[in-house]
Amino acid sequence: MKYIPTIGIECHVQLSTKTKLFSEVDNDARGKEPNSCVSPVDYALPGMLPRLNGEAIKFAIRAGRAMNCEINASSRFDRKHYFYPDSPKGYQITQFYHPIIGAGFVELPDGKKIRIEHAHLEGDAGKLTHFDSYSLVDLNRVDTPLIEIVSMPDMHSAKDAHDYTKSLWRLMCYAEVTNGDLYNGNMRFDVNVSLAPEGSDELGTRAEVKNLNSFKSVERAVEYEIKRQSKILDKGEKVIQETRGWNDATGETTGQRSKEEAKDYRYMPEPDIPPINLTAEFIEEESKKLPLMPKDYKEKFSGKIADDTLEILLDYPSLMKKLAEVKDVKRVSNWFASVLLAEEKSAEYLNDLPTAKQLDDLSEMTEKGELSSTGAKEVFLKFFDPQMAKKEAKVIAKELNVIQENDLGELEKIVDEVLADPATKQAQEDFKAGQEKVIGFLVGQVMKASKGKANPSSAQEILRKKLA
Amino acid sequence: MRIADKTTTAVSLVKEALEKAKKYEDKHIFVSLNEENALKKAEEIDAKIANGEKVGRLAGVPYALKDNFLSKEGNTTASSLMLEPFHSPIDSTTVKKLEAEGAIMIGRTNMDSFAHGSSTENSYFGPTKNAVDDERVAGGSSGGSAVAVALDIVPFATGSDTGGSIRQPASFNGVYGFKPTYGTISRYGVVAMASSTDCIGFFTKNAEDMDLLMEICAGQDENDMTTLPDYYSETPEKPAKKIGIIKDFDNDAVDQDIRNVLAEKVEFLKNEGYEIVELDMPTLKYALAVYYIVVPAEVTSNLSRHDGIRYGYRSEDAKDLGEIFSKSRNEGFMSENKRRIMIGNFVLSSGFYDAYYLKAQKARTKIIEEYNKAFEKVDYILTPVSPNPAFKLGEKVNDPVSMYLEDVMSVPINLAGVPSVAVPVGKTESGLPLGLQVVGPRRSDKNLLKFASVLEGDK
Amino acid sequence: MKIKREDILHLAKLSNFSMSDSEIESIGNDLENIINYISELNELDTEGVEPTYQVFEMENIWRNDEIKEQEADREALLALTKESMQDQIKVPKVL
Repeated sequence: MKYIPTIGIECHVQLSTKTKLFSEVDNDARGKEPNSCVSPVDYALPGMLPRLNGEAIKFAIRAGRAMNCEINASSRFDRKHYFYPDSPKGYQITQFYHPIIGAGFVELPDGKKIRIEHAHLEGDAGKLTHFDSYSLVDLNRVDTPLIEIVSMPDMHSAKDAHDYTKSLWRLMCYAEVTNGDLYNGNMRFDVNVSLAPEGSDELGTRAEVKNLNSFKSVERAVEYEIKRQSKILDKGEKVIQETRGWNDATGETTGQRSKEEAKDYRYMPEPDIPPINLTAEFIEEESKKLPLMPKDYKEKFSGKIADDTLEILLDYPSLMKKLAEVKDVKRVSNWFASVLLAEEKSAEYLNDLPTAKQLDDLSEMTEKGELSSTGAKEVFLKFFDPQMAKKEAKVIAKELNVIQENDLGELEKIVDEVLADPATKQAQEDFKAGQEKVIGFLVGQVMKASKGKANPSSAQEILRKKLA
Repeated sequence: MRIADKTTTAVSLVKEALEKAKKYEDKHIFVSLNEENALKKAEEIDAKIANGEKVGRLAGVPYALKDNFLSKEGNTTASSLMLEPFHSPIDSTTVKKLEAEGAIMIGRTNMDSFAHGSSTENSYFGPTKNAVDDERVAGGSSGGSAVAVALDIVPFATGSDTGGSIRQPASFNGVYGFKPTYGTISRYGVVAMASSTDCIGFFTKNAEDMDLLMEICAGQDENDMTTLPDYYSETPEKPAKKIGIIKDFDNDAVDQDIRNVLAEKVEFLKNEGYEIVELDMPTLKYALAVYYIVVPAEVTSNLSRHDGIRYGYRSEDAKDLGEIFSKSRNEGFMSENKRRIMIGNFVLSSGFYDAYYLKAQKARTKIIEEYNKAFEKVDYILTPVSPNPAFKLGEKVNDPVSMYLEDVMSVPINLAGVPSVAVPVGKTESGLPLGLQVVGPRRSDKNLLKFASVLEGDK
Repeated sequence: MKIKREDILHLAKLSNFSMSDSEIESIGNDLENIINYISELNELDTEGVEPTYQVFEMENIWRNDEIKEQEADREALLALTKESMQDQIKVPKVL
C-alpha cells in the first residue's frame, strides 16, 4: 500500500547569550572544565531563586521574527517536574502555558511553507557521562537558555525534514541567536513521524525519534522510520506510539525500552519569576535589530552571485555579512566559493574572515591586472594564514612575489632575452610560418623568464609586434 | 534593643544571651548554638568601638536565626534529616544585611521541618516547648524563634511566614511577630516552602525594634526577582481612623478568651476615637482550603531539589540511582513533609489540576478582591491570629486536618500578600499569652507597625 | 471522595518515596481526610474569575547579560555532595 508520511519537528536551539538563562555564569562552556560554569542557583542549593536574563527575551524576539512569528506580549514561565541527576532543581523552567513566540512559518528552498505552532524559552539540562558502574554529572549546561521551536505536522518527506531543519539552522544563525554549532549540540531535533494510507483523513500513530543533531541524521532517521513503519503497516500490524533513539552508525532507530507510561510533568506556573508583559514598542525595537536574513541576501546578491554558488555560500552567515561590505561581490564571492569547494575547508575556516579592505584591495589589484587570477588566489589564501592574515593585500602579494610585471620596458627586455635564446628559434620560425598556436609556448617562456610576474596578455602583444 | 557601646560590650551581650540559651536548654529552643563564631564577632565589634570606628545599627546585638536561613556559620538543616548535614557556602540576604549592621547570630532556632507545621512538633530534633508552659506547644513553624525572644534570650529572632508561621508562635508566646507585605524582604537564601506566599519577618519585644529591623532588611534584592523596590523607609505617615473586624471570625469555634480580648480591644479602640467597622468577608472561610492546595503544590515543587544527589541526606541503603532518590526522600522527609508533597502532586497531576489547583488560584483572586474591598472601607483589620491559645503538646500532631485548622485566620493574609503583625495583648486566666493580629493593605507596613503599638498600650 | 490504594501508590511514585505498605496505608487515611477537606472549595463559585499565581504586582523583572563572580565556586559546591570524581558528581550508573 502507499502511505503518506506526516512529520512534525521540535527543535531546541541553545542561545548564545553571555550568561545563562537564570544565573550570571558563563554560558559558553565549550572547552571549559566540568562544573566550572555552575552557580549556586544552577546547583539548586536550597533557597536559591532564578534571575532572568533579559537578553534571552530579546534573543527570543529576534528568533521569532526570523520565523515570521507573532511575539506574544504576555508570557510567563512554568515548572515541569521530573527527577533526574541532570536536573538539579527537580524541575525544568519552561513556558508551557504562555510561550513568548506565537504562530509563524518557515519557507523551504522549494517554496513550501512549514507552519510554526509556537516557540518558547526554557533552560537546558546538565550532562551525564556513563561509565561501567557509575555516571558522572556535569552541570555546566544547566539552564543554558534554549528556545524550543514546535512545528506543525506540515512535512511529508525526508527531504522536507532535511530542508526544514537546515532552513531553521540558517534562520537562527542569521538572527544571531545561536552559535549554530551542531557538533556541540547547539541545535537538537526531535522528529515525529507517522504514516497514513494514501487518501486517509486521519493521521497514523507516531513515533518520536529524539535528540538528532544534524540535518543528515534527521533525513536518514525519517527515511528509516518511513520504511520501518511501512513494513509494520503492510503486515497489518500497528505502529506503537513511542520514543525512539537514533544510531548514526547503523542508520537505525531503536525503541527506548523504558516503560512508556504517560509522563505526568505536573506543570505549574513558576512563582519565582514575575510575568512578562512587553509593550508593542519594545517588541518593535527588538524586531528592528533582526539582521539581514537569507532571503534578504538572495535579493541583494541576485545577478551578482550565481544561484548555485549563493546556495553554498548561504551556509556561512558571517561570510554573507562580509560580502555585503565589499565592493566587488562577484569576484570576492568566487574566491570564497572556490576555496570552500575546492579546498574543502570547513566552516571554522571562516571564523576569522579577512577585512573588507583586504578584500577590496585584492579585487582592485586583480582588476588592474597587477595580479593574475592565480596570484590573486594565492594572496587570498594567505588571508587565512594566521601568520599573514593581518597584512594588507599588497604586502602579501609582494612577499609572495606575484605582482605582475606591467612595466612594458622591462617586459620588452625579457621578451628580447627569450627571442635571443636559441631554444626558441624553431618556435619563432614556426610562428612566422603561420603556426598561430606556437605563440602560447613563447608566452610561456616569457612567463617563466619573468618568474610568473609578467602580464601574459602584454607579453603576447609585444611578442606579436616583434615577430611581425 | 541594647546596642554595644561605651556602657556595654558586645562580648557581654553575646555571653549573656548564650548563658540564657543554655539555661533554657530543656525548652529545646535551639538546634545548634554558634558560640565560637559569635564570641569572635563580638570581640571584633568591641575592638572597633574601642578604636572609634563606625559600627552598625545593630552593633553587638545577639539574635537567633530560624534554621531555614542559609548562613555560612554552622549547618542549615531546616530542622530536617533531609538537610542533615548541610553546611551552606553562602549567606542569605537577610543574614548579610543583619551582620553588616553588626548583629551577631548566637544560634539556630528549632522549627517544624521545612516549616511544615503549626506547633514545631514536626521538627526532626523534637518539639520546642512554650515559653510559659512546658506542656504546651510553642506554635509554629517558627516556634524556636518566638520562644527565644519571649524568654529574653535575644532581643530579636528571624522567622519565615508562609501561612502564619511567625504570627501564630508570636501570639502563643507573647511577643511581636511581623509578616510584611509579600516581596518586602528578600527570600534569597531561605529554604523555600511556598514561593508565592513565603515572607521573611521577625520576632521582637516591641514595635520600635521591629521597625528598625524592617528599615535594615526591607528592599529590592537582585537575587530575588520578587522583591519590591524599597518603599518601607519612604512610607508617608498615615494615621488610622477606621478599624475593621470580621464577623465570620467571631464564632463558637474561637476560644472564649480570644473573643474576650478582641472585644476588650475593640472597646479600647472606640474609646481612643477609632471607628469600628464590621466587615463581611464571606470568601475567607475558603482560604484554608485554597491554602492547602496552593501551598502543597509549591512545596512539592520546591522540595524536588532534595534528591540525595548534590547535598544533604543520602540513604545508606540506596543500591541504585532510583533508590538514592526514593529512599533518601522517604527517609529524609518527615510525615508532614510527605503528606504535603503528596497532596501537592495530587492537585497538580493531570486530571486534577483544573478542579483543584486552578480552582484554588481563582478562589485566591476572590480572596484578594475581598481584601481590596475591605481596605476601601477601613485602614486596618483586627482579628485573632488563631482560634485558640497554645495547645497541649501531642494534642493535634496526629490529626493533620485539625492542625491545619489552626491556620484558618492566618493563611488568607498570605494568599493575598498583605502585611500583618501579631501583637501581644493579654493572657488567659491560666497565664497563657494571647495575641491579636492587625492586617493592613499592601505596603502599609510602616504605619501598620505604628498602629500596632497603640493597640498594645492598654495591655 | 474515596482515595484508592493505587492512587496513593501513584502519588508516592510521583513524589519519589519508597514507602512501605504500612506507611502507604496510614498516609492514605491522612490524605483522604485532607483531600476531603480541600474539596470543600467546590462550593465556591469561581465562574469567570481569573486565577492569581503571584501576589507580586510587578512585571518584566530581568537582569543584564553580564558574567559575575559567584559566591560559591565549584570546590565549595562539590564539597556538599557525597561523592565526586574528576570535578563531577558521581552517581550509580544511570540506566
